[in-house]
Amino acid sequence: MMHNTFLIARREYLERVRTRAFVIMTFLIPLLMFGLTVLPSLIAMRMSGGSKHLVVAATDRQTADLIRQQLQKPPEDSQKAQGRASASTKYDVDLDTDVTDSERAALNEKIKQKQLDGVIWATDEALAANKITYITRDVSNLNDFGIQQIVSRAIHRRALLRKGLSDAEIESALKPMDMEIVSPMGTGAKNPLVAFFTVFGMVMVMYMTVLLYGINVMRAVLDEKTSRIMEVMLSTATAKEMMIGKILGVGAVGLTQVAIWTSTTGILSGGLGLAASGMLKGVISFKLALFFPVFFLLGFVLYSTMYAAIGAMVNSEQEAQQLQFLVAMPLIASVIILVQILQNPTTPLATWASIFPLTAPLVMFTRIALDQTQSIPAWQIALSIGLLLVTIYGLMVLCGRIYRIGILMYGKKPTLPEIMKWIRYA
Amino acid sequence: MQTIELNKVRKMYDQFVAVNELSFSIEQGGVFGLLGPNGAGKTSTIRMMIGITAPDSGQINMFGKPFERKSLQKVGYLPEERGLYKKMKIMDQLVFLGELHGMDAAAARQAALSWCKRLEIDAWLQKKVEELSKGMQQKIQFIAALLHDPDFIIMDEPFFGLDPVNAALLKDVMLDLKKQGKTILFSTHRMDQVEKLCDSLCVINKGNAVLQGDLKEVKSRYGKNNVQIQYEGDGAFLDNNPLVATYNNYGNYVEVRMAPGADPQKLLHMVAEKSRVSRFELMEPSLEEIFIEVVGKNDA
Repeated sequence: MMHNTFLIARREYLERVRTRAFVIMTFLIPLLMFGLTVLPSLIAMRMSGGSKHLVVAATDRQTADLIRQQLQKPPEDSQKAQGRASASTKYDVDLDTDVTDSERAALNEKIKQKQLDGVIWATDEALAANKITYITRDVSNLNDFGIQQIVSRAIHRRALLRKGLSDAEIESALKPMDMEIVSPMGTGAKNPLVAFFTVFGMVMVMYMTVLLYGINVMRAVLDEKTSRIMEVMLSTATAKEMMIGKILGVGAVGLTQVAIWTSTTGILSGGLGLAASGMLKGVISFKLALFFPVFFLLGFVLYSTMYAAIGAMVNSEQEAQQLQFLVAMPLIASVIILVQILQNPTTPLATWASIFPLTAPLVMFTRIALDQTQSIPAWQIALSIGLLLVTIYGLMVLCGRIYRIGILMYGKKPTLPEIMKWIRYA
Repeated sequence: MQTIELNKVRKMYDQFVAVNELSFSIEQGGVFGLLGPNGAGKTSTIRMMIGITAPDSGQINMFGKPFERKSLQKVGYLPEERGLYKKMKIMDQLVFLGELHGMDAAAARQAALSWCKRLEIDAWLQKKVEELSKGMQQKIQFIAALLHDPDFIIMDEPFFGLDPVNAALLKDVMLDLKKQGKTILFSTHRMDQVEKLCDSLCVINKGNAVLQGDLKEVKSRYGKNNVQIQYEGDGAFLDNNPLVATYNNYGNYVEVRMAPGADPQKLLHMVAEKSRVSRFELMEPSLEEIFIEVVGKNDA
């Protein structure tokens, strides 16, 4: 019994992992995520490396000097943490107090000749109009937006200096404020936004994987049915062994994929020393690391058992569509409920949906993940998991019966009374 | 020892009796034909033998003891519905099926290689099934059923869809297996094949056994009162002829079953009067004729 199930699961796993589709999906998705999240800032960093030779043109030397000081000042910690790339650019700054049109034309020419990288045109006139000009060859360089802030800071400093404040006074007046968010328990996430998106991301991964791999189980069964290999298999293995083997094999493929995705994301972001990985440290707690696999596995087995039964019932994917939708409904409903729960995890709807087995995997996990104050009674979590296990067992028996008869039925799609009859056959 | 023994086996689907009180047994080393028209209950019977379904009543013994799943490792089954994993490589596929029958991977690999060499498809072992021609897929299917050196081989319509070359190849393999003392069960409605290979048979119709026994004995039961006539001219004399019980017109010749006690000599005279006779032969009834008769009588 165990041996056959293992052989069937292993075949399913190896055949799937070897397909091109699996390899592409496994490496393309993280690459895409990487491309969308990490690459822009990485590119920005690259481009900002090295130094730039600028000229600051101002009506008086003091203004020009203040701007130079700000440009050459080492980046503050807070800026570093946010990964602000411009901070790492070194500026080589010349001052120019000749603000005539002819000088501007000459500087323009130097930029064209690449003798200069840029000119900050901050004359009294420009400052009075609140509008400085930055002349540069690559006008689309995102880093140069940082220059606007740098010049702004210099101008604030100039205004305060002219009011007669000392350097120390100015320093403390301009110091940016930090904010820390904590829950009443005192612990809490360092950054609620990051916490929110982490939970959201994990739930989405769970949802997508359960749905995708559930449908894969269905396809695997259907594939075996249409290739007519069922009877060959049935001469040594039982229908139950085949069904469980399929679910385990396909499930293991899903787990492999998720594992590769998480670890590559971890390595990529960790390797780059990105702030994100540091921030996640406080968010992905032991609790999440424990309950994510629990609810993920329960959810997957629950749904793929139903998908396996569908695969056994029908003869083609077209026929499967309606039934497929029926099974996916509670999963989709979970996501809709989640939108509410993410805003307020303490409603009665949240409680009931986290106990009802078909919505429990997604909803209970989300509740646990968002529960900063440990307010979910342990019995609710236990009940949710217990009910899931009971439901899975019941569905296995039920779907196992449908499966056993269905895999040998070719031709027309069975009607509901027929399926009821299959279930009643001992 | 009886390799398989069915005792009053019955299977119902809803109100429909698929197999009714069926009993037969196959001696070890015997080649047995399970015959019947489409829908007679042949596949239902086989499915019960190998535990895909359970009989509603009756007893099935395999290798001398009540059916148990472990016995299946000694059974090779070629189902009527042929099928292989299309995207799987031949070698991987055969090893997988061998392992399911209790072989270890190395032994399965070895057996697959030698079978593929014997059937001259060893060059294709690393190809996927979908890249193979139909004929080659059929060979792989046979190998899948025989790989684990089963003692009891069940073949459901083995010659269905085979080209003549593969059919001859399969027949040779079968004869070889018979020589090795394997027990073989054929299920088919192709009588000519059974006549060539089987020692004994059972004809079922609508779930009931209508004829069974040793092939020679069954044929002799029907006596030498069959006549094959090849002639040119009008064949109307056969209709409403008191000498003729039934006849089958095969186009090139007519096979006539004489009425009880009728003299074939009289028929010869009658035929000679009406047409030119090129052949007139007294013979045992063919299995096909017996089949048509028993099944026809059963249907009436």
